[in-house]
Amino acid sequence: MADNIEAIQKSIKWYLVIGGILILASGATVWLSYVELPTHSLNILVGMILATIKATLVALIFMHLNHERSMIYKILLFTVVLAAVLFALFIFSHEDPLVFSGFYAPVEQQ
Amino acid sequence: MDIPYTVHARPDTGLYNAKIGIWLFLASEVMLFGGLFSAYIFLRVGADYPWPVHDLDVTLGFINTVVLIASSVTVVMAWAMLKLRKFGWYRINMAITVICAGVFMFNKSLEYKAKFAHYAVKLTDGTMLTGHLPHGYQVKFEGATEFNLSVPLKTSAVTADPIGHVLPFIEGTAPKFKTEGGQEITLDEASFKALSAEAVKKAAEAKKGTASIKLIATAPIKFAVKPSEIFAYTDTTITFRDGTTATGKLTDDKMTLEVDGVDARGVAQSEKSLAFDHRYLGEAWQKAFVENRDHHITKFEKDYPTRDKTRSATLQKESLFFKLNSAEAPAAGAAHGDAHGAEAHAPAGGHGDAHGHHPTVVLEKKDFTFFSNFTPKLNTYYAIYFTLTGLHGLHVIAGALVLLYFLAFDGKRLRQDPEHLANRVEVGGLFWHFVDLVWIFLFPLLYLL
Repeated sequence: MADNIEAIQKSIKWYLVIGGILILASGATVWLSYVELPTHSLNILVGMILATIKATLVALIFMHLNHERSMIYKILLFTVVLAAVLFALFIFSHEDPLVFSGFYAPVEQQ
Repeated sequence: MDIPYTVHARPDTGLYNAKIGIWLFLASEVMLFGGLFSAYIFLRVGADYPWPVHDLDVTLGFINTVVLIASSVTVVMAWAMLKLRKFGWYRINMAITVICAGVFMFNKSLEYKAKFAHYAVKLTDGTMLTGHLPHGYQVKFEGATEFNLSVPLKTSAVTADPIGHVLPFIEGTAPKFKTEGGQEITLDEASFKALSAEAVKKAAEAKKGTASIKLIATAPIKFAVKPSEIFAYTDTTITFRDGTTATGKLTDDKMTLEVDGVDARGVAQSEKSLAFDHRYLGEAWQKAFVENRDHHITKFEKDYPTRDKTRSATLQKESLFFKLNSAEAPAAGAAHGDAHGAEAHAPAGGHGDAHGHHPTVVLEKKDFTFFSNFTPKLNTYYAIYFTLTGLHGLHVIAGALVLLYFLAFDGKRLRQDPEHLANRVEVGGLFWHFVDLVWIFLFPLLYLL
C-alpha cells in the first residue's frame, strides 16, 4: 500500500502523467476510428485493444491494483473468470451448440 | 456500537472492511455491465440494418471522455491530498470532481434532447429519411357528428371514456351533444357517468353484453390527433383508444418533414429512391446525391484499388447516406463534402427559405411505413445505446452524490479523523474510477466503431 508520505508524494506526479496519457489515447482512438483499415472488424479490434490498455492503466494506477492485498486479487480472479464465461455464452448462441461442443459432426451438404 | 476496522486493517485480510465491500460490489457491477456489453454484441451481430457508426456527436462524446478522465485524476488526487493532510487541496479536488460529473450529465442531456427531437421515416422502397417534424405529426379529421360509444358490462381493457380519449383531440371548443333520448348535453365526467349508467342498466335488462351509446354532435367536429393516440383510421372513420368510433372525413394525414438526410443503403438502385420523386426532393437533389455517391466511390477505388467496395461499411455510409445541409440542392460540382461525411454544403447565393437549412417535403401516408424519433423504438442500436448510457449516467449521478456528501457533510470527520475520511474517499473514488472505466469502453463502442 502506498500509505507512507513519500510514496504518495511520488505517485501524485504519476496520476497527472497517466491522466495525460489517457486523454491522448482517447484522441488516438477517435482518430483511428476514421482511418479506413482493410476491414471494419480491424478498426473494432484496434479500438478495443486501445480501450483495454486505457482500462488497465485506470485499474492499475488510479485503483491501486498495482499494489493491493491478495484478497482483492482473489475476488477479481472470480470476476474475470465469470465475466469470460458470460462473453463465451455468445459463441453458443452464434454457433450450433451441438456441433461446437463436438457432440456430432454435421453431414456435408451435397 | 462502533463499526470495526473502518480505519485500520483487519489482521486476517490486511484491508479495512469497506475496501473489501466495494471490491465485491464492483465485481457484481462488472457482471451487470458485462451482461449488457454481451447484449450489445448479440444485437450488433444480429442487426439487419447498417449499424450506426459515427452517428452520435463524436465531439460531445470526446469532451465527455476528457471530463471523466479529468475527474478520475482529481478524485485520486483528493485522496492523496487527504493522506498528506493538505485539506484545502483535498476540497478543491473533490469540488472539481463533482463539477466534472455535472458537466458530463449536462452534455449527456444535450445529446438525449437532440435524439428525442430528431426523426427517421422509412419509405416504402426502404429509403430512410432523417429530419425534423416542425409541427409534429397529426392526422386531421373533419365533419364528425355521429359517435358510437360502447361500454362492456364485464370489466374490460377498452371501455368508453370520451373525456380522456376523444374530447382532448377536438380542435376548438367541444359542441353540445344530443343523446338518443333527444336530450342536449355538455359532455363532461358527470353527464357521461349518468349516460353510461343508464345505458348499462338498459343493456342488463335486455341481457346484452355491451351497452351502446350514440351521441350526435350539434355542430360538426374537427379532430387533430397523433396516430399513436388513436387505434385506427380510414378515409371516413376514426376509432379512438376507448373504442369510440366516429364517422367523418379524413382531411390530412400527410407528414411535413424537414429532411436533413437520405439513407439509401436499403434501396437496390439508390438513385431511384422514392425520396427523389418529383413530389419530394426532386431531380436537383437526385443529381447532387448521384454526384456525391460517385465521387466517394471513385475516391475509394483510387485510394484502395485492391479492396472490395461493396464490403466497406464506411464507403456505403459515405456514398449512400446523403446529408442535406441547405434548403436547395447545391449547384453541380459543389455536392461532395469533406473527408468524413457525405455533406452537401449550402449554395453560395443563399435563399429565402424560412426554415433555413433543410428542404421540406410533404410525405403522403401511402409512401411511408414507419417513423420514429431516435429512441429505442427506432432500432436495436438506439435501444442498447439508451440502456447502456442511461445506466452509466445513473452511476455518474450516484457516484457524484456520494463524493458530494463526503465534501459537504463530512467536515467533522475531516477535522477529527482524517484517516477514516481518507478511506471513505478511497472507496468512493474506486467506484468513480469504475464509472470511468465503463465509459472507456462505451465511448468507442457507441460513438466510434
